[in-house]
Amino acid sequence: MAQLVSTIALSHAPGLTGWLDKAPKEEQDSLVNGFSELGRILRDTRPDVIIGVANDHVLNLEFQNTPDFCVGTSDKWEGPAEWFKDWVAVPHYEVAGNKQVADTLVNAAGREGIRFAFRDKLLFDDNWSVPLYYLTPDYDIPLVPIHMNCVVPPLPQPEYCYRVGQTIAKIVRDELPDDMRVAFMATGGLSHDPGGPKYFDVDEKFDRWFLGLLEEGDPEKVLREATIDKMVAAGDGGTSELLAWLVTMGAVGDRPAKTVCYEPAVELRCGMGCVYWDMS
Amino acid sequence: MGIMNTNRTLPSNLMVFELRRDLTLFQRFRQNIEPIMEMYGLSEEEKQAFRDENIKKLSELGVHPYFLPQISRIFHGSAYNHNNSEAAQVYARNMVDGADQEG
Repeated sequence: MAQLVSTIALSHAPGLTGWLDKAPKEEQDSLVNGFSELGRILRDTRPDVIIGVANDHVLNLEFQNTPDFCVGTSDKWEGPAEWFKDWVAVPHYEVAGNKQVADTLVNAAGREGIRFAFRDKLLFDDNWSVPLYYLTPDYDIPLVPIHMNCVVPPLPQPEYCYRVGQTIAKIVRDELPDDMRVAFMATGGLSHDPGGPKYFDVDEKFDRWFLGLLEEGDPEKVLREATIDKMVAAGDGGTSELLAWLVTMGAVGDRPAKTVCYEPAVELRCGMGCVYWDMS
Repeated sequence: MGIMNTNRTLPSNLMVFELRRDLTLFQRFRQNIEPIMEMYGLSEEEKQAFRDENIKKLSELGVHPYFLPQISRIFHGSAYNHNNSEAAQVYARNMVDGADQEG
C-alpha cells in the first residue's frame, strides 16, 4: 500500500519565469516566496514520485482524436520543448519518469472504467516547466505527467475529473508498491484568457471566490458551483485549466485547501496562485 | 468566439499544431509561408488571413483560441513576451483594440 503524502495545485503561466520583472515588486515577491514555499511543503513530505495533472496546451493531444487524459509512460522527460524555450526562459532540464507507476495507472484505471490514453513521448511547455522550476529546482523527484484536455471541446466534466482523481487515489492506495510515497499535483489556472478579448485582464473576483470555495473543504459544493460555464466566463481560453485542480480534489475528500499565495498578476496575464491540502 | 467555437477540422489548426512541434517546419514557415499553407490545404480565406497576420479573422474562422497569441509569436518572436512586446501588441491591436484589421 503506497501512501499519498502530498496534494498541491498551482498556476503555471510562463510570465512567472519569462517576464516576471514586469510585475510590481510586491507581486514578484509574493509569488516567488509563495511558489518556493509550496516547493518546500512538497519536498518536506519526501515523495518518491509526483503524479502530475496539467492541461495539454494543444501541443500533444491532436484535434483528430483528443483524449480526456493521457499518461506519460516514459522513464525520462525533458523540457522545455524547443519552440517554447525562449518563451518560458528556464534552462533545459531533465527529470526522471516512472514507467512502473504510469503503467499501473493506465491499466488499473481501465479496470475502474476510466480510459487513460498513454504515450512515451510528450512535449513539455510551461505546463510542467514553470512548476518544476519553483517546486523541485534540482529536478530530483520523478514525475509521471498526465496531460489532460481542458480546452478542446468537449471538455471532461467536473464530476468526471473528480472521479478520475478519486480513482488515482485508490490506485495509489491499492496498487502501487508498499512504502512508496506519492505526491499528487495539479497545474493550471487561475483566470486567464489566451486567445480572447480579456487576454490582458485577470478576473480577481472569480479567482478569490474559487480559492475560497476550495478552502471550505466541501467537494460536493465545489462540483455544484465550480462549473465549466463559470470558468469560461472568467477567461475563455485558459481558466478551464482549473479542471485539473478538480482532479486532485478527488484525492483529498473534505480536507480544506490552504492557499499559500494569490496575485491577480495582470502583467503576467494570469491569476497566479497555489494551494495545498494537508494529507497527514 | 472561444474554445467552444473551435473548428477542429480546419486546416489552419492542424498546421499550427505542427508548427510548434517541429522546429524545421517552423523555420521553413518563417522563410516562406506559402508552400506550408499549400501543404496543409488551407482555404484561400485562411491563407489570406495568415498573409495579413489577421488574427481576428483566424479567430472567426475557428482557429483554436490558444493558437492566436502563438500565431503572433510565430511571426514576431516569443522571447520576453510581456504586455508591451511586439507579439503581445500585435495581438492586442487585432483582438482587443480592434484597431488594425476588421474581420
